[in-house]
Amino acid sequence: MKKLRRSMLFLPGSSAAMLSTAFIYKPDSIMFDLEDAVSLREKDSARILVFNALQHPMYKGIETVVRINPLNTPFGLKDLEAAVRAGVDVIRLPKTDTPEDIHQLEREIVRIEESCGRKVGSTQLMAAIESAVGVINAVAIARSSDRLMGIALAAFDYVMDMQTERGDGTELFYARCAVLHAARAAGIDAFDVVYGDVNDEEGFLKEVDLIRRMGFNGKSLINPRQIELLHNAYAPTQEEVDYAERVITAAEEGERSGLGVISLNGKMIDAPIINHARVVLERKKASGIRH
Amino acid sequence: MKIVQAALAGTLESSDLMVKVSPSDVGLDIVINSEVMKQFGEQITQVVNETLTAFNVTHGQIIVDDKGALDCVIRSRMQVAIMRGTCSDEINWEKLQ
Amino acid sequence: MYAEKTPEFDTVETSNGVIKEEIIQFLHSNGLGIDDDVGQFVIARADKQLIACAGLAGNTLKCIAVHIEWRGTSLGLQVIREAEYLANQNGDHHLFLLTCPDNVKSFRGCGFYPLATLENKATLMENTPVGIHRYCKKLRADYFIPAAKIGAIVMNANPFTLGHQFLIEQASRACNWLHVFVVEENLSQFSFNDRIAMVRDGVKHLSNVTEHPGSRYIISRGTFPGYFLKEKQVVNDVYSAIDLIIFRRYIAPSLGITHRFVGTEPYCKVTAQYNRAMHHWLEEEFVIPANAITVHEIDRKTDENNYPISASAVRSLLNKNKLSVARNIVPESTMPYLHNWLRANHLDLSEPPLTGNLMSISVGL
Repeated sequence: MKKLRRSMLFLPGSSAAMLSTAFIYKPDSIMFDLEDAVSLREKDSARILVFNALQHPMYKGIETVVRINPLNTPFGLKDLEAAVRAGVDVIRLPKTDTPEDIHQLEREIVRIEESCGRKVGSTQLMAAIESAVGVINAVAIARSSDRLMGIALAAFDYVMDMQTERGDGTELFYARCAVLHAARAAGIDAFDVVYGDVNDEEGFLKEVDLIRRMGFNGKSLINPRQIELLHNAYAPTQEEVDYAERVITAAEEGERSGLGVISLNGKMIDAPIINHARVVLERKKASGIRH
Repeated sequence: MKIVQAALAGTLESSDLMVKVSPSDVGLDIVINSEVMKQFGEQITQVVNETLTAFNVTHGQIIVDDKGALDCVIRSRMQVAIMRGTCSDEINWEKLQ
Repeated sequence: MYAEKTPEFDTVETSNGVIKEEIIQFLHSNGLGIDDDVGQFVIARADKQLIACAGLAGNTLKCIAVHIEWRGTSLGLQVIREAEYLANQNGDHHLFLLTCPDNVKSFRGCGFYPLATLENKATLMENTPVGIHRYCKKLRADYFIPAAKIGAIVMNANPFTLGHQFLIEQASRACNWLHVFVVEENLSQFSFNDRIAMVRDGVKHLSNVTEHPGSRYIISRGTFPGYFLKEKQVVNDVYSAIDLIIFRRYIAPSLGITHRFVGTEPYCKVTAQYNRAMHHWLEEEFVIPANAITVHEIDRKTDENNYPISASAVRSLLNKNKLSVARNIVPESTMPYLHNWLRANHLDLSEPPLTGNLMSISVGL
């Protein structure tokens, strides 16, 4: 079963307190940020902090992501060395504009994996789309590497590139669709943007509802409070669970009886429906029924 | 290696620690203060000494002000303070692991 | 990206009139004033509003305030850290701050350690737990000479006059060993290097004298913080007390000093007050948990017109290019330094004819 990635909690890589306690909150993934959340003068110390934290047992059971600085900065390559050597699960590349950005990243990762004895290919990638060019190239980017597990939209830089500002979501309309379609075409996960106002629960839930119904696998979060809310929004209703269970039962029966076609209530159910049913049950297993 | 310039790393926020290093001509001069000195003093001292040994630091005044940090945080702040204090631009990954 | 109400930090120069005015208002609303020697401030803003500030005057933090709504958060800690970082950029790593005793605990949490406290009034702190201790240890290792009667003088020597030399000679005769501390702060007309060199040259004929740099623990009055003390007199009292407490508690014991020598001060109120404070803080038994030090006030050497010789008189003469008159009140060993000073300040070495008399000289340190 594909891993659930509903919630990705962002942590500033420079905060010792947050790095020491974040594992308590149990998001699906934790992202250690070495880029925008870290000031220039703390780049070196954040890198080392994350390097050491990644190796601590408290992060062994949870999917870890590191957002490195772009490779054309003095920091990017060092960040990459630190993260890969420390055993991070996923490298998030900010400002991915072209497939070549991913290829360049991959070349460096291969070099580092070989150099430190980490299994070549074990480090996964996530591309962050933060510009108009990135949105346009989303499909090519999503297909550019076997290591890519997902593609994310990042709003802050994107809306500036689009010469507008963050608002009710109108400004992200096309970008969201493009990134989502690219992800689906490439068979990888799609992640939505950060919701910045941590005190606006209603606004957050509205946005989560929208992107869930669009089909996003998950969302980036900047506050632990948002995790519960998000997981609950992604939890299925009892109706959905009941239907999903019936789908799975029908599928299993169909397999046993060796029939070519599986049906439920007279309707044919094929692979996508069965897969979706599995996802629903996974989400129920993780967070129960939506309340 | 010798500490050649004054440097600091970390903060005094809860769960963090501040490490200040400066040159010393009398070898290693280590001072450790902690909110939890009684319970964890020995452990903190061990991590501090291990890191200094890993970098082969022979001369320096090392002042540690701990606010209840985990071992991995202590190690991190020590590593950064030493790197800044010895002007090491290149990271020797073996020393850190 | 993190749209929460996180404070933004900035560094500003006090020369920026607009910002300075804003800071003064902010300090005022926190019951604080502003000291003249603060060159830079670290400020914190939230939604454009000023919520914290910390001033930097060389190696001393002053004028520190946090908006009442933000107290109890880590904002104070952060602003002090930014100020420390700024000082480090300027090359200063060893920092001091003066605060009222109520705030000592807060500043302890920011990495500052108490050095000396004047009860209920002020505490001087430094940003290391072992600053004064290591200094005294080194002082002892480098300069301690065991002897029955060890004395000390603290002087600026700006420049070194016959008056200074006389004081040292008197003290040297009265003790088995004498330590002369030269104030290190470079605020004087003559640089520290020149001043200590003049002292060195001026005591060559004495066999029981060592001169050494005063260090940061012999505090210059000029940089002493006063921003949270209401009146000038209180500032002076606090300055004297703190300075003398440190001397008696830390510096004197490390060298076995039991006697301190100082010239009498007939004219300057501030210096006279300091001398009186010396008797109180150094000699009285139970004011400080440290051995008492005997204070000797030696009458100042006078010139041929019976005026006490003073360094300020020499400076005044130099500024008026009256080198030949200055020659009368400084040792020969000081002359080269006066020549150099004149040359460096582009004053013509040929003097105008000697007119008037010496009545126009002002006295001082």
